[in-house]
Amino acid sequence: MSHPVTTNPLIIMLINMTVVFLVLTVLGLVINLIHIIDPTKPKQEKQEEAAPAPAEAAAAPVESAPAAGTAAAEEGISPEIVAVIAAAIASYGYGMEQVRAIRPLPRDAWKNSGRAQMANRG
Amino acid sequence: MELLNAFAVSLQSVWADSGFSAFTMGNGIMILVGLLLLYMAIVKEFEPLLLGPIAFGCVLANFPRTGFFTEPGLMQAIHYGIANEIFPPLIFLGIGAMTDFGPLLARPVTLLLGAAAQIGVFVALVGAMLLGFNVQEAGAIGIIGGADGPTAIYLSIQMAPHLLGAIAVAAYSYMSLVPLIQPPIMKLLTTQKEREVAMEQLRPVTKFERVCFPIVAAIVISLLLPPIASLLGCLMLGNLFRESGVMDRLSDTAQNSLCNIVTIFLATGTGMTMNADDFLVPQTLMIIGLGLVAFIAGTAGGVLFGKIMCRVSGWKINPLIGSAGVSAVPMAARVSQVVGMKAKPGNYLLMHAMGPNVAGVIGTAVAAGTMLAMLK
Repeated sequence: MSHPVTTNPLIIMLINMTVVFLVLTVLGLVINLIHIIDPTKPKQEKQEEAAPAPAEAAAAPVESAPAAGTAAAEEGISPEIVAVIAAAIASYGYGMEQVRAIRPLPRDAWKNSGRAQMANRG
Repeated sequence: MELLNAFAVSLQSVWADSGFSAFTMGNGIMILVGLLLLYMAIVKEFEPLLLGPIAFGCVLANFPRTGFFTEPGLMQAIHYGIANEIFPPLIFLGIGAMTDFGPLLARPVTLLLGAAAQIGVFVALVGAMLLGFNVQEAGAIGIIGGADGPTAIYLSIQMAPHLLGAIAVAAYSYMSLVPLIQPPIMKLLTTQKEREVAMEQLRPVTKFERVCFPIVAAIVISLLLPPIASLLGCLMLGNLFRESGVMDRLSDTAQNSLCNIVTIFLATGTGMTMNADDFLVPQTLMIIGLGLVAFIAGTAGGVLFGKIMCRVSGWKINPLIGSAGVSAVPMAARVSQVVGMKAKPGNYLLMHAMGPNVAGVIGTAVAAGTMLAMLK
Protein backbone atom coordinates (compact mmCIF):
# COMPACT_ATOMS: atom_id res chain seq x y z
CA MET A 1 0.00 0.00 0.00
CA SER A 2 1.47 3.38 -1.01
CA HIS A 3 1.57 6.35 1.35
CA PRO A 4 -1.53 8.58 1.50
CA VAL A 5 -1.22 12.09 0.07
CA THR A 6 -2.14 13.64 3.44
CA THR A 7 -3.39 12.49 6.83
CA ASN A 8 -5.02 15.75 7.88
CA PRO A 9 -8.75 14.86 8.07
CA LEU A 10 -9.97 18.39 7.36
CA ILE A 11 -7.82 18.70 4.24
CA ILE A 12 -9.00 15.28 3.09
CA MET A 13 -12.61 16.39 3.60
CA LEU A 14 -12.09 19.68 1.76
CA ILE A 15 -10.29 18.13 -1.22
CA ASN A 16 -12.70 15.20 -1.53
CA MET A 17 -15.86 17.30 -1.34
CA THR A 18 -14.42 19.68 -3.94
CA VAL A 19 -13.63 16.76 -6.27
CA VAL A 20 -17.10 15.23 -5.77
CA PHE A 21 -18.77 18.56 -6.59
CA LEU A 22 -16.50 19.12 -9.60
CA VAL A 23 -17.06 15.65 -11.08
CA LEU A 24 -20.83 15.84 -10.63
CA THR A 25 -20.87 19.38 -12.07
CA VAL A 26 -18.98 18.10 -15.13
CA LEU A 27 -21.54 15.31 -15.40
CA GLY A 28 -24.33 17.91 -15.20
CA LEU A 29 -22.71 19.86 -18.06
CA VAL A 30 -22.45 16.64 -20.07
CA ILE A 31 -26.17 16.00 -19.54
CA ASN A 32 -26.99 19.54 -20.70
CA LEU A 33 -24.74 19.09 -23.73
CA ILE A 34 -26.51 15.85 -24.67
CA HIS A 35 -29.84 17.68 -24.39
CA ILE A 36 -28.63 20.54 -26.59
CA ILE A 37 -27.30 18.33 -29.38
CA ASP A 38 -30.25 15.92 -29.19
CA PRO A 39 -31.55 15.69 -32.80
CA THR A 40 -34.72 13.90 -31.69
CA LYS A 41 -36.11 16.44 -29.23
CA PRO A 42 -39.62 17.79 -29.95
CA LYS A 43 -39.81 20.47 -32.64
CA GLN A 44 -41.48 23.09 -30.48
CA GLU A 45 -38.66 22.94 -27.95
CA LYS A 46 -36.10 23.40 -30.73
CA GLN A 47 -37.95 26.50 -31.97
CA GLU A 48 -38.00 27.96 -28.47
CA GLU A 49 -34.25 27.52 -28.18
CA ALA A 50 -33.61 28.95 -31.67
CA ALA A 51 -35.76 32.07 -31.17
CA PRO A 52 -35.97 33.02 -27.48
CA ALA A 53 -39.06 35.21 -27.73
CA PRO A 54 -41.68 33.09 -25.99
CA ALA A 55 -43.90 36.02 -25.02
CA GLU A 56 -44.41 37.12 -28.61
CA ALA A 57 -44.76 33.57 -29.87
CA ALA A 58 -47.37 32.76 -27.24
CA ALA A 59 -49.27 35.99 -27.82
CA ALA A 60 -49.79 35.38 -31.53
CA PRO A 61 -52.16 32.41 -31.33
CA VAL A 62 -54.13 34.07 -28.51
CA GLU A 63 -54.87 37.05 -30.69
CA SER A 64 -55.88 34.99 -33.67
CA ALA A 65 -57.74 32.41 -31.63
CA PRO A 66 -61.07 34.13 -30.97
CA ALA A 67 -61.76 34.51 -34.67
CA ALA A 68 -61.45 30.78 -35.28
CA GLY A 69 -62.71 29.77 -31.88
CA THR A 70 -65.88 31.83 -31.49
CA ALA A 71 -67.53 29.66 -34.11
CA ALA A 72 -66.85 26.55 -32.01
CA ALA A 73 -67.91 28.23 -28.74
CA GLU A 74 -71.48 28.07 -27.51
CA GLU A 75 -73.48 31.21 -26.87
CA GLY A 76 -72.88 32.71 -23.45
CA ILE A 77 -69.12 32.05 -23.48
CA SER A 78 -67.26 35.34 -23.66
CA PRO A 79 -64.45 35.92 -26.19
CA GLU A 80 -62.08 36.42 -23.24
CA ILE A 81 -62.75 32.85 -22.02
CA VAL A 82 -62.23 31.52 -25.55
CA ALA A 83 -58.94 33.44 -25.76
CA VAL A 84 -57.70 31.93 -22.47
CA ILE A 85 -58.63 28.40 -23.60
CA ALA A 86 -56.91 29.04 -26.95
CA ALA A 87 -53.74 30.19 -25.17
CA ALA A 88 -53.72 27.09 -22.96
CA ILE A 89 -54.14 24.82 -25.99
CA ALA A 90 -51.47 26.75 -27.92
CA SER A 91 -48.99 26.17 -25.07
CA TYR A 92 -49.27 22.44 -25.83
CA GLY A 93 -48.53 23.07 -29.52
CA TYR A 94 -52.06 22.83 -30.97
CA GLY A 95 -54.12 25.38 -32.89
CA MET A 96 -57.75 26.50 -32.37
CA GLU A 97 -58.70 24.98 -35.74
CA GLN A 98 -58.47 21.58 -34.01
CA VAL A 99 -61.10 22.54 -31.41
CA ARG A 100 -64.60 21.35 -32.30
CA ALA A 101 -66.62 22.85 -29.47
CA ILE A 102 -66.33 24.81 -26.23
CA ARG A 103 -69.25 24.26 -23.86
CA PRO A 104 -69.63 24.41 -20.08
CA LEU A 105 -70.06 21.12 -18.24
CA PRO A 106 -73.01 20.81 -15.87
CA ARG A 107 -71.73 21.63 -12.38
CA ASP A 108 -72.27 19.29 -9.49
CA ALA A 109 -70.91 20.43 -6.12
CA TRP A 110 -71.03 16.90 -4.64
CA LYS A 111 -69.04 15.40 -7.52
CA ASN A 112 -66.46 18.19 -7.37
CA SER A 113 -66.08 17.76 -3.62
CA GLY A 114 -65.57 13.99 -4.07
CA ARG A 115 -62.95 14.56 -6.78
CA ALA A 116 -61.10 17.06 -4.59
CA GLN A 117 -61.03 14.54 -1.74
CA MET A 118 -59.73 11.78 -4.01
CA ALA A 119 -57.02 14.06 -5.40
CA ASN A 120 -55.83 15.07 -1.95
CA ARG A 121 -55.91 11.62 -0.41
CA GLY A 122 -52.42 10.72 0.93
CA MET B 1 -10.52 -55.09 25.19
CA GLU B 2 -8.68 -54.28 21.98
CA LEU B 3 -11.96 -53.40 20.38
CA LEU B 4 -12.79 -50.97 23.20
CA ASN B 5 -9.37 -49.37 22.92
CA ALA B 6 -9.77 -48.90 19.17
CA PHE B 7 -13.23 -47.45 19.76
CA ALA B 8 -11.91 -45.00 22.37
CA VAL B 9 -9.03 -43.91 20.13
CA SER B 10 -11.40 -43.39 17.23
CA LEU B 11 -13.76 -41.34 19.37
CA GLN B 12 -10.86 -39.24 20.64
CA SER B 13 -9.73 -38.71 17.08
CA VAL B 14 -13.23 -37.66 15.94
CA TRP B 15 -13.49 -35.30 18.93
CA ALA B 16 -10.06 -33.83 18.28
CA ASP B 17 -11.00 -33.18 14.64
CA SER B 18 -14.46 -31.81 15.47
CA GLY B 19 -15.31 -28.15 15.73
CA PHE B 20 -16.30 -28.54 19.38
CA SER B 21 -12.73 -29.12 20.54
CA ALA B 22 -11.61 -25.81 19.00
CA PHE B 23 -14.80 -23.88 19.73
CA THR B 24 -14.12 -20.63 21.61
CA MET B 25 -16.28 -18.24 23.57
CA GLY B 26 -15.75 -15.74 20.74
CA ASN B 27 -17.19 -18.20 18.21
CA GLY B 28 -20.23 -18.66 20.45
CA ILE B 29 -20.81 -14.92 20.75
CA MET B 30 -20.44 -14.41 16.99
CA ILE B 31 -22.93 -17.19 16.27
CA LEU B 32 -25.36 -15.40 18.60
CA VAL B 33 -24.67 -12.14 16.72
CA GLY B 34 -25.42 -14.01 13.47
CA LEU B 35 -28.68 -15.33 14.91
CA LEU B 36 -29.63 -11.82 16.07
CA LEU B 37 -28.99 -10.48 12.56
CA LEU B 38 -31.07 -13.33 11.13
CA TYR B 39 -33.88 -12.33 13.48
CA MET B 40 -33.62 -8.72 12.28
CA ALA B 41 -33.66 -9.86 8.65
CA ILE B 42 -36.51 -12.38 8.87
CA VAL B 43 -38.77 -11.01 11.60
CA LYS B 44 -38.07 -7.27 11.41
CA GLU B 45 -37.46 -7.36 7.63
CA PHE B 46 -34.37 -5.11 7.79
CA GLU B 47 -32.98 -5.45 4.22
CA PRO B 48 -33.69 -9.23 4.39
CA LEU B 49 -32.24 -10.05 0.96
CA LEU B 50 -28.83 -8.81 2.11
CA LEU B 51 -28.84 -9.11 5.89
CA GLY B 52 -30.14 -12.71 5.70
CA PRO B 53 -27.15 -14.17 3.80
CA ILE B 54 -24.73 -11.87 5.71
CA ALA B 55 -26.08 -13.23 9.00
CA PHE B 56 -25.88 -16.84 7.85
CA GLY B 57 -22.36 -16.26 6.55
CA CYS B 58 -21.47 -14.92 10.00
CA VAL B 59 -22.75 -18.13 11.61
CA LEU B 60 -20.82 -20.29 9.09
CA ALA B 61 -17.62 -18.29 9.57
CA ASN B 62 -17.52 -19.15 13.24
CA PHE B 63 -17.44 -22.92 12.91
CA PRO B 64 -13.83 -23.87 13.66
CA ARG B 65 -11.75 -26.12 11.39
CA THR B 66 -13.95 -25.79 8.33
CA GLY B 67 -10.98 -24.77 6.19
CA PHE B 68 -13.27 -22.45 4.23
CA PHE B 69 -10.52 -20.02 3.30
CA THR B 70 -7.57 -22.40 3.17
CA GLU B 71 -8.84 -25.29 1.05
CA PRO B 72 -10.12 -24.98 -2.53
CA GLY B 73 -13.89 -25.06 -2.78
CA LEU B 74 -17.00 -22.94 -3.03
CA MET B 75 -16.27 -20.84 0.05
CA GLN B 76 -12.79 -20.02 -1.17
CA ALA B 77 -14.21 -19.10 -4.58
CA ILE B 78 -16.72 -16.77 -2.89
CA HIS B 79 -13.94 -15.27 -0.80
CA TYR B 80 -11.88 -14.79 -3.98
CA GLY B 81 -14.79 -12.86 -5.53
CA ILE B 82 -14.93 -10.58 -2.49
CA ALA B 83 -11.19 -10.11 -1.99
CA ASN B 84 -10.61 -9.32 -5.66
CA GLU B 85 -13.49 -6.85 -6.05
CA ILE B 86 -15.42 -9.01 -8.50
CA PHE B 87 -18.86 -8.98 -6.92
CA PRO B 88 -19.50 -5.25 -6.21
CA PRO B 89 -19.15 -4.24 -9.90
CA LEU B 90 -21.46 -7.11 -10.90
CA ILE B 91 -24.05 -5.86 -8.42
CA PHE B 92 -23.65 -2.41 -9.98
CA LEU B 93 -24.39 -3.97 -13.38
CA GLY B 94 -27.75 -5.08 -12.00
CA ILE B 95 -28.37 -1.74 -10.27
CA GLY B 96 -27.66 0.05 -13.56
CA ALA B 97 -30.18 -2.15 -15.36
CA MET B 98 -32.77 -1.32 -12.68
CA THR B 99 -32.10 2.43 -12.51
CA ASP B 100 -34.09 5.06 -14.34
CA PHE B 101 -31.82 8.08 -14.79
CA GLY B 102 -34.73 9.99 -16.40
CA PRO B 103 -35.43 12.33 -13.42
CA LEU B 104 -31.72 13.17 -13.24
CA LEU B 105 -31.52 13.86 -16.98
CA ALA B 106 -34.63 16.03 -16.81
CA ARG B 107 -33.20 18.14 -13.97
CA PRO B 108 -29.39 17.75 -13.89
CA VAL B 109 -29.03 20.42 -11.21
CA THR B 110 -30.10 17.78 -8.67
CA LEU B 111 -26.66 16.20 -9.14
CA LEU B 112 -25.45 18.86 -6.72
CA LEU B 113 -27.76 17.49 -4.02
CA GLY B 114 -26.19 14.06 -4.54
CA ALA B 115 -22.79 15.70 -4.08
CA ALA B 116 -23.79 17.69 -0.97
CA ALA B 117 -25.08 14.59 0.81
CA GLN B 118 -21.61 13.04 0.58
CA ILE B 119 -20.55 15.35 3.43
CA GLY B 120 -21.67 12.52 5.74
CA VAL B 121 -18.87 10.34 4.37
CA PHE B 122 -16.22 12.88 5.30
CA VAL B 123 -17.72 13.87 8.66
CA ALA B 124 -17.50 10.19 9.64
CA LEU B 125 -13.95 10.05 8.26
CA VAL B 126 -12.94 12.96 10.49
CA GLY B 127 -14.71 11.33 13.47
CA ALA B 128 -12.97 8.01 12.83
CA MET B 129 -9.55 9.64 12.69
CA LEU B 130 -10.25 11.48 15.94
CA LEU B 131 -11.14 8.11 17.53
CA GLY B 132 -7.76 6.70 16.54
CA PHE B 133 -8.41 4.84 13.28
CA ASN B 134 -5.73 5.25 10.63
CA VAL B 135 -6.54 7.18 7.48
CA GLN B 136 -7.37 4.13 5.33
CA GLU B 137 -9.64 2.65 8.01
CA ALA B 138 -11.31 6.05 8.48
CA GLY B 139 -12.00 6.32 4.74
CA ALA B 140 -13.56 2.85 4.69
CA ILE B 141 -15.72 3.67 7.74
CA GLY B 142 -16.77 7.03 6.29
CA ILE B 143 -18.19 5.44 3.14
CA ILE B 144 -21.00 3.97 5.29
CA GLY B 145 -22.47 7.50 5.01
CA GLY B 146 -22.83 6.97 1.27
CA ALA B 147 -25.60 4.44 2.07
CA ASP B 148 -24.47 2.30 -0.81
CA GLY B 149 -23.62 -1.30 0.14
CA PRO B 150 -21.58 -2.42 -2.91
CA THR B 151 -19.46 0.76 -2.85
CA ALA B 152 -18.87 0.39 0.90
CA ILE B 153 -17.71 -3.22 0.38
CA TYR B 154 -15.60 -2.24 -2.65
CA LEU B 155 -13.76 0.46 -0.71
CA SER B 156 -13.41 -1.55 2.51
CA ILE B 157 -11.79 -4.47 0.69
CA GLN B 158 -9.14 -2.17 -0.69
CA MET B 159 -8.52 0.08 2.31
CA ALA B 160 -9.39 -1.93 5.45
CA PRO B 161 -10.33 -5.56 4.69
CA HIS B 162 -10.28 -6.50 8.40
CA LEU B 163 -13.19 -4.07 8.99
CA LEU B 164 -15.31 -5.33 6.09
CA GLY B 165 -17.81 -7.27 8.22
CA ALA B 166 -18.54 -4.43 10.64
CA ILE B 167 -18.76 -1.85 7.86
CA ALA B 168 -21.12 -3.96 5.74
CA VAL B 169 -23.40 -4.74 8.68
CA ALA B 170 -23.49 -1.07 9.73
CA ALA B 171 -24.16 0.11 6.15
CA TYR B 172 -27.00 -2.33 5.46
CA SER B 173 -28.55 -1.94 8.93
CA TYR B 174 -28.67 1.85 8.67
CA MET B 175 -29.95 1.67 5.09
CA SER B 176 -32.94 -0.27 6.35
CA LEU B 177 -33.39 2.31 9.12
CA VAL B 178 -33.48 5.28 6.69
CA PRO B 179 -37.26 5.79 7.22
CA LEU B 180 -36.60 6.18 10.96
CA ILE B 181 -33.33 8.16 10.84
CA GLN B 182 -34.11 10.75 8.18
CA PRO B 183 -37.57 12.29 8.90
CA PRO B 184 -36.70 13.94 12.26
CA ILE B 185 -33.60 15.57 10.72
CA MET B 186 -35.56 16.72 7.66
CA LYS B 187 -38.26 18.28 9.83
CA LEU B 188 -35.74 19.87 12.16
CA LEU B 189 -33.87 21.60 9.35
CA THR B 190 -36.82 22.84 7.26
CA THR B 191 -39.74 25.18 7.82
CA GLN B 192 -43.36 24.30 7.06
CA LYS B 193 -43.27 26.72 4.10
CA GLU B 194 -40.21 24.99 2.64
CA ARG B 195 -41.74 21.54 3.03
CA GLU B 196 -44.84 22.72 1.16
CA VAL B 197 -42.96 23.85 -1.96
CA ALA B 198 -44.56 22.22 -5.02
CA MET B 199 -42.17 21.39 -7.85
CA GLU B 200 -42.86 21.74 -11.57
CA GLN B 201 -43.42 18.61 -13.60
CA LEU B 202 -40.23 17.15 -15.07
CA ARG B 203 -39.70 17.57 -18.81
CA PRO B 204 -39.91 14.44 -20.94
CA VAL B 205 -36.52 12.82 -21.63
CA THR B 206 -35.86 11.47 -25.12
CA LYS B 207 -34.45 8.04 -25.91
CA PHE B 208 -31.38 9.74 -27.43
CA GLU B 209 -30.55 11.30 -24.04
CA ARG B 210 -31.20 8.04 -22.19
CA VAL B 211 -28.88 6.08 -24.50
CA CYS B 212 -26.14 8.71 -24.71
CA PHE B 213 -25.94 9.33 -20.96
CA PRO B 214 -24.53 5.96 -19.81
CA ILE B 215 -21.99 5.93 -22.65
CA VAL B 216 -20.73 9.47 -22.12
CA ALA B 217 -20.87 9.23 -18.28
CA ALA B 218 -18.79 6.03 -18.34
CA ILE B 219 -16.18 7.69 -20.55
CA VAL B 220 -16.00 10.93 -18.53
CA ILE B 221 -15.95 9.37 -15.03
CA SER B 222 -13.58 6.54 -15.96
CA LEU B 223 -11.11 9.03 -17.39
CA LEU B 224 -11.43 11.31 -14.35
CA LEU B 225 -11.32 8.56 -11.70
CA PRO B 226 -9.82 5.28 -13.00
CA PRO B 227 -10.00 3.53 -9.56
CA ILE B 228 -13.78 3.33 -9.85
CA ALA B 229 -13.91 2.61 -13.59
CA SER B 230 -15.07 -0.97 -12.98
CA LEU B 231 -17.88 0.14 -10.61
CA LEU B 232 -19.17 3.04 -12.71
CA GLY B 233 -18.45 1.19 -15.96
CA CYS B 234 -20.67 -1.71 -14.89
CA LEU B 235 -23.38 0.68 -13.60
CA MET B 236 -23.51 2.44 -16.95
CA LEU B 237 -23.29 -0.80 -18.96
CA GLY B 238 -26.29 -2.15 -17.08
CA ASN B 239 -28.15 1.09 -17.75
CA LEU B 240 -27.29 0.88 -21.44
CA PHE B 241 -28.78 -2.64 -21.52
CA ARG B 242 -31.97 -1.13 -20.13
CA GLU B 243 -32.23 2.01 -22.24
CA SER B 244 -31.00 0.78 -25.63
CA GLY B 245 -34.21 -1.14 -26.22
CA VAL B 246 -32.35 -3.83 -28.19
CA MET B 247 -30.70 -5.69 -25.29
CA ASP B 248 -33.76 -6.63 -23.28
CA ARG B 249 -32.55 -10.16 -22.57
CA LEU B 250 -29.28 -8.89 -21.16
CA SER B 251 -31.12 -6.24 -19.16
CA ASP B 252 -33.46 -8.86 -17.75
CA THR B 253 -30.56 -11.14 -16.78
CA ALA B 254 -28.55 -8.30 -15.23
CA GLN B 255 -31.41 -7.01 -13.08
CA ASN B 256 -32.85 -10.37 -12.05
CA SER B 257 -30.96 -13.67 -12.18
CA LEU B 258 -27.40 -12.33 -12.27
CA CYS B 259 -28.06 -9.70 -9.60
CA ASN B 260 -29.71 -12.28 -7.35
CA ILE B 261 -26.91 -14.82 -7.77
CA VAL B 262 -24.19 -12.25 -7.11
CA THR B 263 -26.13 -10.89 -4.12
CA ILE B 264 -26.10 -14.37 -2.58
CA PHE B 265 -22.32 -14.66 -3.08
CA LEU B 266 -21.51 -11.10 -2.03
CA ALA B 267 -23.68 -11.09 1.09
CA THR B 268 -22.71 -14.60 2.23
CA GLY B 269 -19.03 -13.88 1.60
CA THR B 270 -19.28 -10.58 3.48
CA GLY B 271 -20.85 -12.38 6.43
CA MET B 272 -18.04 -14.92 6.33
CA THR B 273 -15.51 -12.17 7.03
CA MET B 274 -17.17 -11.70 10.45
CA ASN B 275 -14.95 -13.98 12.47
CA ALA B 276 -14.60 -13.48 16.21
CA ASP B 277 -11.02 -12.21 16.08
CA ASP B 278 -11.86 -9.31 13.75
CA PHE B 279 -15.39 -8.52 14.92
CA LEU B 280 -15.31 -8.81 18.71
CA VAL B 281 -13.25 -5.68 19.26
CA PRO B 282 -14.23 -2.26 20.66
CA GLN B 283 -13.71 -0.74 17.21
CA THR B 284 -16.85 -2.50 15.97
CA LEU B 285 -19.02 -0.46 18.33
CA MET B 286 -17.21 2.71 17.22
CA ILE B 287 -17.87 1.82 13.56
CA ILE B 288 -21.58 1.32 14.25
CA GLY B 289 -21.71 4.68 16.08
CA LEU B 290 -19.78 6.45 13.31
CA GLY B 291 -22.12 4.95 10.70
CA LEU B 292 -25.06 6.63 12.40
CA VAL B 293 -23.18 9.95 12.51
CA ALA B 294 -22.42 9.56 8.79
CA PHE B 295 -26.09 8.97 7.91
CA ILE B 296 -27.26 11.94 10.00
CA ALA B 297 -24.60 14.27 8.56
CA GLY B 298 -25.31 13.13 4.99
CA THR B 299 -29.05 13.74 5.38
CA ALA B 300 -28.42 17.14 6.96
CA GLY B 301 -25.95 18.09 4.20
CA GLY B 302 -28.45 17.22 1.47
CA VAL B 303 -31.33 19.08 3.13
CA LEU B 304 -29.24 22.19 3.88
CA PHE B 305 -27.99 22.33 0.30
CA GLY B 306 -31.60 21.83 -0.79
CA LYS B 307 -32.51 24.94 1.21
CA ILE B 308 -29.85 26.91 -0.64
CA MET B 309 -31.13 25.62 -4.00
CA CYS B 310 -34.68 26.43 -2.93
CA ARG B 311 -33.74 30.09 -2.40
CA VAL B 312 -31.55 30.35 -5.51
CA SER B 313 -34.22 28.79 -7.74
CA GLY B 314 -36.93 31.15 -6.42
CA TRP B 315 -38.73 28.51 -4.31
CA LYS B 316 -38.96 26.03 -7.16
CA ILE B 317 -37.02 23.21 -5.44
CA ASN B 318 -38.35 21.53 -2.31
CA PRO B 319 -35.43 21.09 0.16
CA LEU B 320 -36.86 17.72 1.26
CA ILE B 321 -35.53 16.07 -1.92
CA GLY B 322 -31.99 16.88 -0.71
CA SER B 323 -32.08 14.08 1.85
CA ALA B 324 -32.45 11.57 -1.01
CA GLY B 325 -28.90 12.43 -2.02
CA VAL B 326 -27.60 9.78 0.40
CA SER B 327 -28.23 6.98 -2.17
CA ALA B 328 -30.23 4.20 -0.42
CA VAL B 329 -32.24 3.87 -3.66
CA PRO B 330 -35.24 4.11 -3.64
CA MET B 331 -35.86 4.16 0.13
CA ALA B 332 -34.50 7.70 0.66
CA ALA B 333 -36.63 9.07 -2.22
CA ARG B 334 -39.70 7.45 -0.66
CA VAL B 335 -38.90 9.17 2.64
CA SER B 336 -38.83 12.56 0.85
CA GLN B 337 -42.22 11.72 -0.67
CA VAL B 338 -43.75 10.70 2.66
CA VAL B 339 -42.46 13.75 4.57
CA GLY B 340 -43.57 16.04 1.72
CA MET B 341 -47.05 14.51 1.62
CA LYS B 342 -47.42 14.94 5.37
CA ALA B 343 -46.58 18.64 5.06
CA LYS B 344 -48.90 19.15 2.11
CA PRO B 345 -51.25 16.39 0.91
CA GLY B 346 -51.09 16.01 -2.85
CA ASN B 347 -47.50 17.24 -3.12
CA TYR B 348 -45.82 14.38 -4.98
CA LEU B 349 -42.04 14.58 -4.61
CA LEU B 350 -41.10 10.98 -5.45
CA MET B 351 -39.97 11.50 -9.05
CA HIS B 352 -38.21 14.77 -8.13
CA ALA B 353 -36.36 12.97 -5.32
CA MET B 354 -35.24 10.16 -7.63
CA GLY B 355 -32.88 12.66 -9.33
CA PRO B 356 -30.71 13.31 -6.24
CA ASN B 357 -31.20 9.69 -5.19
CA VAL B 358 -29.47 8.23 -8.27
CA ALA B 359 -27.03 11.15 -8.22
CA GLY B 360 -26.12 9.96 -4.72
CA VAL B 361 -25.13 6.54 -6.11
CA ILE B 362 -22.75 8.23 -8.55
CA GLY B 363 -21.59 10.69 -5.85
CA THR B 364 -20.73 7.90 -3.39
CA ALA B 365 -18.76 6.05 -6.08
CA VAL B 366 -16.93 9.28 -6.93
CA ALA B 367 -16.14 9.86 -3.23
CA ALA B 368 -14.82 6.30 -3.02
CA GLY B 369 -12.69 6.85 -6.13
CA THR B 370 -11.25 10.08 -4.77
CA MET B 371 -10.37 8.41 -1.47
CA LEU B 372 -8.76 5.48 -3.29
CA ALA B 373 -6.68 7.91 -5.35
CA MET B 374 -5.67 9.97 -2.30
CA LEU B 375 -5.44 7.57 0.59
CA LYS B 376 -4.70 4.05 -0.62
